Amino acid sequence: MLQKGMAKTDTIAAVATAPGRGGIGVVRISGYQLSELVLHLLGKPLRPRFASLKKFLDIDGSVIDEGIALYFPAPNSFTGEDVLELQGHGGNAVMQRLLKRCLNLGVRLAEPGEFTKRAFLNDKLDLAQAESVADLIDAASEEAAKSAVRSLQGEFSNAVHEVVERLIHLRMLVEASIDFPDEDIDFLEAADALGKLSGVREQLQQLQNRAKQGCLLREGVHVVLVGQPNVGKSSLLNLLAGDEVAIVTAIAGTTRDTVREEIEIKGVPFHIIDTAGLRDTSCEVEQIGIARTWAAVDKASLALLLLDSREGMTSSDEAILARLPENLPVMQIFNKIDLLPREAGIEFDAGVKRIFVSAKSGAGMDLLRENLLEVAGWEQTGEGAFMARERHLRALDGAGACLRNAENNWRQLEFFAEELKLAQNELNSITGAFGADDLLGEIFSRFCIGK
Amino acid sequence: MFFPSLFDVIVVGGGHAGTEAALAAARMGNKTLLLTHNIETLGQMSCNPAIGGIGKGHLVKEIDALGGVMAAATDEGGIQFRILNSSKGPAVRATRAQADRSLYKQAIRRRLENQPNLWLFQQAVDDFTLSGDQITGVVTQLGVRFEAHAVVLTAGTFLAGLVHVGQSSYQAGRAGDPPAISLAHRLRELNLPVGRLKTGTPPRIDGRSLDYSVMTEQPGDDPAPMFSYLGSSNQHPQQVSCWITYTNERTHDIIRNGLDRSPLYTGVIEGVGPRYCPSIEDKIMRFADKDNHQIFVEPEGLSTHEIYPNGISTSLPFDVQYALVRSMRGFENAHITRPGYAIEYDYFDPRGLKSTLETKAIKGLFFAGQINGTTGYEEAGAQGLLAGINAGLFAAGKEGWSLGRDQAYLGVMVDDLITRGVSEPYRMFTSRAEYRLLLREDNADLRLTEIGRELGVVDDERWALFSTKRDAVALEKERLKSTWVNPRMVDVASAERVLGQAMEREYTLLDLLRRPQVSYQALLTLPGAGNGVFDPRVAEQVEIQAKYQGYIERQQEEIERHHHYEALHLPPDTDYSKVHGLSIEVKQKLAQYRPETLGQAARLSGVTPAAISLLLVYLKRNQGRTEKKSA
Ligand SMILES: Cc1cc2nc3c(=O)[nH]c(=O)nc-3n(C[C@H](O)[C@H](O)[C@H](O)COP(=O)(O)OP(=O)(O)OC[C@H]3O[C@@H](n4cnc5c(N)ncnc54)[C@H](O)[C@@H]3O)c2cc1C
Ligand SMILES: Nc1nc2c(ncn2[C@@H]2O[C@H](COP(=O)(O)OP(=O)(O)OP(=O)(O)O)[C@@H](O)[C@H]2O)c(=O)[nH]1
Ligand SMILES: [Mg+2]
Repeated sequence: MLQKGMAKTDTIAAVATAPGRGGIGVVRISGYQLSELVLHLLGKPLRPRFASLKKFLDIDGSVIDEGIALYFPAPNSFTGEDVLELQGHGGNAVMQRLLKRCLNLGVRLAEPGEFTKRAFLNDKLDLAQAESVADLIDAASEEAAKSAVRSLQGEFSNAVHEVVERLIHLRMLVEASIDFPDEDIDFLEAADALGKLSGVREQLQQLQNRAKQGCLLREGVHVVLVGQPNVGKSSLLNLLAGDEVAIVTAIAGTTRDTVREEIEIKGVPFHIIDTAGLRDTSCEVEQIGIARTWAAVDKASLALLLLDSREGMTSSDEAILARLPENLPVMQIFNKIDLLPREAGIEFDAGVKRIFVSAKSGAGMDLLRENLLEVAGWEQTGEGAFMARERHLRALDGAGACLRNAENNWRQLEFFAEELKLAQNELNSITGAFGADDLLGEIFSRFCIGK
Repeated sequence: MFFPSLFDVIVVGGGHAGTEAALAAARMGNKTLLLTHNIETLGQMSCNPAIGGIGKGHLVKEIDALGGVMAAATDEGGIQFRILNSSKGPAVRATRAQADRSLYKQAIRRRLENQPNLWLFQQAVDDFTLSGDQITGVVTQLGVRFEAHAVVLTAGTFLAGLVHVGQSSYQAGRAGDPPAISLAHRLRELNLPVGRLKTGTPPRIDGRSLDYSVMTEQPGDDPAPMFSYLGSSNQHPQQVSCWITYTNERTHDIIRNGLDRSPLYTGVIEGVGPRYCPSIEDKIMRFADKDNHQIFVEPEGLSTHEIYPNGISTSLPFDVQYALVRSMRGFENAHITRPGYAIEYDYFDPRGLKSTLETKAIKGLFFAGQINGTTGYEEAGAQGLLAGINAGLFAAGKEGWSLGRDQAYLGVMVDDLITRGVSEPYRMFTSRAEYRLLLREDNADLRLTEIGRELGVVDDERWALFSTKRDAVALEKERLKSTWVNPRMVDVASAERVLGQAMEREYTLLDLLRRPQVSYQALLTLPGAGNGVFDPRVAEQVEIQAKYQGYIERQQEEIERHHHYEALHLPPDTDYSKVHGLSIEVKQKLAQYRPETLGQAARLSGVTPAAISLLLVYLKRNQGRTEKKSA
């Protein structure tokens, strides 16, 4: 009796390939009515079940990546819904950018195991697979719970809770003034709701900024290799990449063009840029190369200054150091220790890290990797933490948007209240549910209400 | 004796729940019997003589939209009407009326006596008769046995009711009425999950002993609004004012000194009272820093001098009541006509109910009103209506009916009750409704009257009126949507006056109406805007729908997203111990409360989203099995 229409699910997306594997990466999207999304993302409609080479477009029309796009309309797809698969060349960073673009188009990040779940619910998996789906959800939710807890320890969690508490306080005043207009209490007039709101917004903004730190993990770290010619920058890049990507010769000034390579250390992407060695030169080609080096330095989030251990810190090195931007973190790498009687290791000089390695023997490379991770802000969390963080960032962004709407609607109390509630719903995904009853409890414990 | 005729539906209790239940069942064509202690107390207001308020007014409008009587009776008995939150948006506006007790009661009684298919009988019900787990009828105090297909119990505060004034207590259903003791015993035997709650009421005062000149007058709205969609202001009797006074430090001292003889503070009362409706002793203890409390002085009726001092509910001993009342401004010579008291009573854990308000334990037995842990006439009336309709459907062998959280406050309330239970008497607030912007007083008819018509509880008069309004709203909206206003047609002065700025391009009238500062009436003065509609209720509806459109669409999208899982049926015989991956705690919860749908399951406390996913997989798998078997 009085039944409504059938199920409609929202659209979800995730990187379908395991993180950290090279080669191709796949972003998979599942939902209904994906054609509009396809238009935004690829500029043109797709022919079902045909592989086509496409440019994946960012919000400003710039190209994120180029690759194969495949479109499977429902019900003949993995999940039984409309499915879009984008296969890019990208390492993690490109995949994350692509994913982010999808999220901007209104797609939601998939829960762990959600594709499989949908496939199951749409009769795409047989009965025997049912138990394994249950296992998957079970494990995934445990994993998600764990990673949520992990990333919720310490400062981040405290900061979120602080924002939530202030939001609850504001909501309490707003809801009280709606539900109890006959009380002789000025819930809102005296309370400066708008001031309180901007306080919450400000605090959330700070929190978002700090959470962006976690973005490093998604976006990766841009590392530039700098130093005098011949100190072994290109050799180090090749070693880190595990491949001969840059030319290495004994001739000073070998590298001219910047050479880029993406590597991953425990799943964290590092975009490494090898540059032309820095020195005064009259060679026009080399001069251009050096200009490019400085351009690369400007975009980097970390610089590795390479030095020859035999020489130590020379005045030329000091000159380079002095020219590096002040707020750019720098690690000093003393190379070629194999030519000295000296072990790989780390030294601190007035708070500056000096790491002693050999790009030839590979000595000290583990140490270098460890330190790169540390500088990137990577804590020893396990798998899944990345997903949880992505979700948290989304929730913070969502809450921020609602609070902005609230500010625009502050003259209409019921809309104001609605946006605040939606903001809280977003944050609930981080802190756990806080329902109407909790809010009423908050009101009754603070104000003497009722006749 | 066996009463010779068989009824479709028996309703026990003639309070607010019982009367709506009986009327609804009878309107649907069921042969209905209303059994109550005393025909003189049909529709009696046990506590303050007021109907409506924020959240509650919404319920009253919904009752009305579904053909119930509470709104109409209030229009006939209301002696002061106000729209609360009138300065705020339509979703949170609500109607409240002060009612003349006896006029209200008369209005209810007249409707009961004139309702076809409805029989009244004055007797206390002492027992139920069952056949297995199916109800078959009731037995009264005199041993008369009535048989019916379905029974609705609406015993209010009467089950094992215990009244407290100071250190003395006695058994009663409310002051002046007998309790229902045998029935309470019988229900406890049936192993229904029972608990104790408490509520209270203030002393009543002879208004002639008050000095109104030192109080603040609070007049009603002029013109007085109506409660019923069918109402008109010429139904309203004479309108009067309420008054406001305050407690003071002396009042508080008197109360503090009397606390050692308070049943609340000496542990005599076990039942939990409502936090939002505290006794005056509670207010003073919990908010010690507040040096006065606002008291509304409300008339009890036009034909009585009694007044209701709203805000000093108390169970303190009478001598303390006497002193505290006389300590208030304007009350120096007050004469108390009836002492205040607290009452403790049995209620049943509503998690034992289906969304139709049928008990999960006994087929054909429905519970409504205060016995489900709620408080308030409106909450009771709304539940009564739902239970009455479902008892009627049950008697006819039809499937039950319920409302979603997105359809009505009634839906929110029942869902809250059956999924979360209660820890104190449950009262409606708008903050309980996640779709508050959709569930407004102004559109209860548009939300519910069609459904009511389908169910057979909406009569021809209401239906005709509703259909006209609905069509007029649709027509006018369509007109606004298709009428374009060109900047060349509109002179700058008109544009500035109506829109606050010049028009930069062409717009439809609907687009313009969506702007916050543009009113419907002003819009119609734009050149080329046409004539619009005359009926203010239609105009109001058109305007609200336009202004809320963005939010309405957003909430509707969200509802659709949840709808599938929300309504997914969980078979009552589901063996939760077999559901792979669920924690023991969740398994126990599900087994204990047996939610009817996945949506209900999700709202049980402690049930996680992962648990819901696991349930979904389990359901799907079993469905697959049964399909294979039958194939
Ligand atoms: C002292 C007091 C204070 C209150 N204070 C407030 C307040 O501050 N705010 C508020 O919102 N609400 C208050 N209420 C609650 C409000 O009165 C109730 O919520 C409302 O009346 C409940 O309606 P009901 O139909 O469930 O039960 P009731 O109105 O209690 O009606 C029950 C009916 O059932 C009949 N009945 C009971 N048992 C039997 C039986 N065995 N056989 C036959 N007939 C039977 C009774 O005679 C009565 O007619 C108060 C109630 C009391 C008694
Ligand atoms: N023994 C030894 N030789 C090294 C090491 N690292 C690099 N070399 C040698 O040093 C020379 C220069 O190496 P490159 O990697 O080309 O140096 P670069 O810093 O990239 O030089 P430019 O590109 O000219 O700026 C080559 O002959 C390398 O083989 C090392 O750790 N130990
Ligand atoms: Mg080089």
